[in-house]
Amino acid sequence: MIFLKKHHRDIVFYKALCNLRSEASKTYLSFLWWIIEPVFSMAIYYFIFGVVFKRGTDDFIPFLLVGLVVWQWFAQCISHCSAAINQNQALISQVNFPKIVLPSINMVMDTFKFSIVFALLLIVLWIMGYPPTLTYAYLPLILGMQFILNYACGLIASALIPFVPDLSNLIPHLLRLGMYSSGILYSVSSLPEKIQDVLAYNPMVWIIQSYRDVLMYNQGPNTSHLTSYLIAVVALYALARLLLNKLNPIFARALMQR
Amino acid sequence: MNEKKSAISLKNVRVTYRSGIPLTRATSEYTPLKDVSFELYEGDSLGVIGRNGAGKSTLLRLLNGIIKPDGGKVINHGHKTALLSLTVGYDQNLTGRQNAVISGMMMGLEKQHIVSKLNEINEFAELGEFFDQPVKNYSTGMKQRLGFGVAIHLKPDILLIDEILAVGDSRFKKKSETVMKEKITSGDTVVLVSHSPATVKRLCNKALWIEDGIVAKYGESAEVVEAYEKSQS
Repeated sequence: MIFLKKHHRDIVFYKALCNLRSEASKTYLSFLWWIIEPVFSMAIYYFIFGVVFKRGTDDFIPFLLVGLVVWQWFAQCISHCSAAINQNQALISQVNFPKIVLPSINMVMDTFKFSIVFALLLIVLWIMGYPPTLTYAYLPLILGMQFILNYACGLIASALIPFVPDLSNLIPHLLRLGMYSSGILYSVSSLPEKIQDVLAYNPMVWIIQSYRDVLMYNQGPNTSHLTSYLIAVVALYALARLLLNKLNPIFARALMQR
Repeated sequence: MNEKKSAISLKNVRVTYRSGIPLTRATSEYTPLKDVSFELYEGDSLGVIGRNGAGKSTLLRLLNGIIKPDGGKVINHGHKTALLSLTVGYDQNLTGRQNAVISGMMMGLEKQHIVSKLNEINEFAELGEFFDQPVKNYSTGMKQRLGFGVAIHLKPDILLIDEILAVGDSRFKKKSETVMKEKITSGDTVVLVSHSPATVKRLCNKALWIEDGIVAKYGESAEVVEAYEKSQS
């Protein structure tokens, strides 16, 4: 999407739209599943950590919701993008096209689904007593940063798996680890300093914290942190594009020779 | 004598497939093309003949740029190529219409262009109401007909065709063959891979005979086909 030729962007958006429509047409509740699914998973996490383990403070529900919704966007993008090139051997061995198109399709689909859930989240937060404030102006920036981060990670995973198939077994575990180390179920600032220093390298920690600051605590993100994370994320994206460009001509071989 | 411009040059091209996981030692190796050199000229229609597994399809992939050679060089002098394959990675869950648009775009057509041709495609493919049903409900023949319907609208500089002159029942076969022949003999640059020497002789002005990974003979199609048929009998 970002710096993609118009023709390839057309393919990405057309295919994503078709996929979404076909996905919706396959179940009775059709696109409602895009809402029901995240609601279910949130309900389960709330039950386990909020009710059974009584970890909750007063604002545990909104705290958990914000973290989970944005984390799910990240996790879905990575797990869907990562399989994109590996699963399209037939297409890749017959047509010459930039392979970045394939993970980009999943990126558009997951982002579309996320946007519905995120809009719902904003409404739910308002109902719970967290109305929109001026700090919402930071939202597009944080969302944009997370988009680039998701896209970059998804691209890197999709590029490496055809060459190192073992990674596809590892990714679900990495995502689970990521989920527990991103401060979704607990506040990172309540941890010992040492662990906090380590977690600072996980960009999702900062991103989730910023979402909460903006959505719940009426607080903009720290500008110097914002700049450094922004630079890091853009650099990661540049690296991902470079990697895909370099590997583009040899994907077909790698997949055909399997 | 030959003032035609070269479209694609192959110089000592070698392709080796190795099986097994990438980055480790190959469990087995197979070299369909050992040392292939020839020039494809603009305006030629070149027929490629050779036995099964002689590397004909690999050659098309090289010309299209899907794969790179392990040795030697493939030099494309700035031409757009399209490899015609009838069921270009169809998504089983999408309708014929959607698949037509996607595969057309994948093979280089503008979105508006392919969308404007959708009625023509359906008319040619004779899918009727199936056009708006998922491709998983299609028979093999229907899928090929759809592929053919899209293929006739492709306008690349160089058309690469892998053995698909005629598909479907005898009536559709006739129709598709007529269209394909028109395309091949229209003066566009075409590379046609075929098991049938007779077809090559009929449709192509040049022929390339590949045997054991090297060029056995390259030249006027009548001569090459004659030599090939002699060697087979």
